[in-house]
Amino acid sequence: MNFERIKDELAQAWTVAIKDVRVYYLRPGMIMFGFLMPFFMFFSFSVKRDVGAAEGVARLLAMTVFFTAGAAGPFIIPTERKIGTYDRLLAAPMSLMTLLLGKTAVGAFFAIAVSGVSLLAGLLFFGAEILQPGLLAAGIVLGAFSFSTLGLAFGSMPTTNPGDVQMPSTLLRWGLLFISGVFIPLSEMAPVARTIAYLSPLTYAQDVMNHAVLGSGAINPWLDLSMLALSGVLFLIPSVKMHRRARVLGR
Amino acid sequence: MNNAIEVENLTKYYEKFLAVDRINFAVKQGEIFGFLGPNGAGKSTTQRMLTTLLTPTEGLILINGQDLARDSYPAKRQIGLVPEESNVYTELTAWDNLMFTASIYRVPRNERAKRAQELLETFGLWDKRDIKAENFSKGMRRRLSIAMAVIHKPSLLFLDEPTPGLDAQSIRAIWELIRQMNAEGTTVFLTTHQIEEANQLCDRVAIISHGKIAAIDTPERLKANFRRVQSVEVALEPSETLKVSETFRVSNEGLESLPGVTTQVKVGDKTRLYTEDPSALIPRVVHFAESRNLRIVSLNTLSPSLEDVFLEITGGQLGAVSQEEEKPARRGMGGRK
Ligand SMILES: Nc1ncnc2c1ncn2[C@@H]1O[C@H](COP(=O)(O)OP(=O)(O)OP(=O)(O)O)[C@@H](O)[C@H]1O
Ligand SMILES: [Mg+2]
Repeated sequence: MNFERIKDELAQAWTVAIKDVRVYYLRPGMIMFGFLMPFFMFFSFSVKRDVGAAEGVARLLAMTVFFTAGAAGPFIIPTERKIGTYDRLLAAPMSLMTLLLGKTAVGAFFAIAVSGVSLLAGLLFFGAEILQPGLLAAGIVLGAFSFSTLGLAFGSMPTTNPGDVQMPSTLLRWGLLFISGVFIPLSEMAPVARTIAYLSPLTYAQDVMNHAVLGSGAINPWLDLSMLALSGVLFLIPSVKMHRRARVLGR
Repeated sequence: MNNAIEVENLTKYYEKFLAVDRINFAVKQGEIFGFLGPNGAGKSTTQRMLTTLLTPTEGLILINGQDLARDSYPAKRQIGLVPEESNVYTELTAWDNLMFTASIYRVPRNERAKRAQELLETFGLWDKRDIKAENFSKGMRRRLSIAMAVIHKPSLLFLDEPTPGLDAQSIRAIWELIRQMNAEGTTVFLTTHQIEEANQLCDRVAIISHGKIAAIDTPERLKANFRRVQSVEVALEPSETLKVSETFRVSNEGLESLPGVTTQVKVGDKTRLYTEDPSALIPRVVHFAESRNLRIVSLNTLSPSLEDVFLEITGGQLGAVSQEEEKPARRGMGGRK
């Protein structure tokens, strides 16, 4: 693969991502699962529990990135398969990886935009201070990447019905939410719970946010970032496999 | 001359269901090739395999001489695809739909706008370029969908049933565009179940039935090979006035038992008699009319239409107009045994 081709492919991924952002940001499915859900989840678990401002902002950031990034894939791909526009992308002269990269970027864009809103709210209404803006930015971007490819794995399931995917993907995300260190700090968890928490990428995202906003976390921030990047890459594997499977099944 | 498409032993199973059964054919460069078959014959399945959307269970596909399974990238750059449904992005305007496809098909940036304008003008959508496709009629969407498929000037264009559900004017416009693109050198693979469309457009036609290719030839030669589906069409009238409900029965009863008639079909107020030898049948029909004191309103011989050939091969009934046909359908040649 030569340099020119790689440049082409990256430009195509970008084109796909921009197109999806323009087409889908106002869709009810996106607004519901991507934009309202994280705030709803945050308030239902944080109100009346006496959470400090900084702690609350760190949590809100982690949750918005997690839910918004993961909402795009399971919604967009089955929708496009259903109305038939996905065939246009699959038949286009770009590799499957390029297409997946474009689709990952869509979720990541949404997540970055919505977490920007959370951040603004945190700064304006809760008077939070960001101690390490660079780390925060890296955490948001890598978290968005990881959770977006997770959503993509669900979106890649060979189905033309977004409803088939929405349920399992929501369940899994809730599962990952509850086992992670979002509601209970890692340091206060029992060893077993703590081991389980390490399985959820959200744990690492939350820990980065804690470092960036509170100035302290339970894990080395570099390890957090690496784990987010690694999990993001790993989640692409089932996506590739399921796309191949869909091409055999003809869905 | 090279072949644009070559297919060997192409087979597709959906789980255990055999949809395409070891088919072989070649499409020459510069040809309009029709892929004709009834619903469920395996047309779309074949086209989807040729356009990389579906992985074949078995067999070889060469696009411009290159193995599609090995590296699909060169083929994908040369292919234009009009899918079965007019799947445009309804949230985008006609213009943005075209710009998007131009960009994923790597049309050079400075050519995109010019090309899009040309196409929108050709398809009568230029005035509508800033309107979102969700407000388009079915015909407009289809035209936009075709424009999107050809924005990169593909050398090989696939169309999956481009015209059903459109008005005569839109159909003409689409046919005209296909002819024009072909005249400029584009090879066309046209999937359709409309015989007239294949007849009007195609240099060669493959007839597919139950996943197998039953015949491949030029439309005229296919028709010539089916001499036995020639027919004589006659309209008879009794000399005395009868009740409307009686007229047709009285004047046509017995025609089907004339020697040489293979099938009889009522076509409006006429009777169509299929025969291998119209010239022998005509005197018999005249004699039939004279002996019963019937007036011959009209008498025509018809050469087989592509539709007759199609129905003959795919095992459908001749003269689709008539459902009260008594005789069993004739055995199709390519039908599943
Ligand atoms: N994804 C699929 N899974 C299982 N069976 C399928 C699938 N797609 C098509 N089939 C079956 O394969 C057969 C051929 O389908 P195909 O879509 O190729 O037919 P077609 O010739 O294009 O028909 P039509 O004129 O209705 O478009 C049909 O019996 C269809 O039900
Ligand atoms: Mg079809």
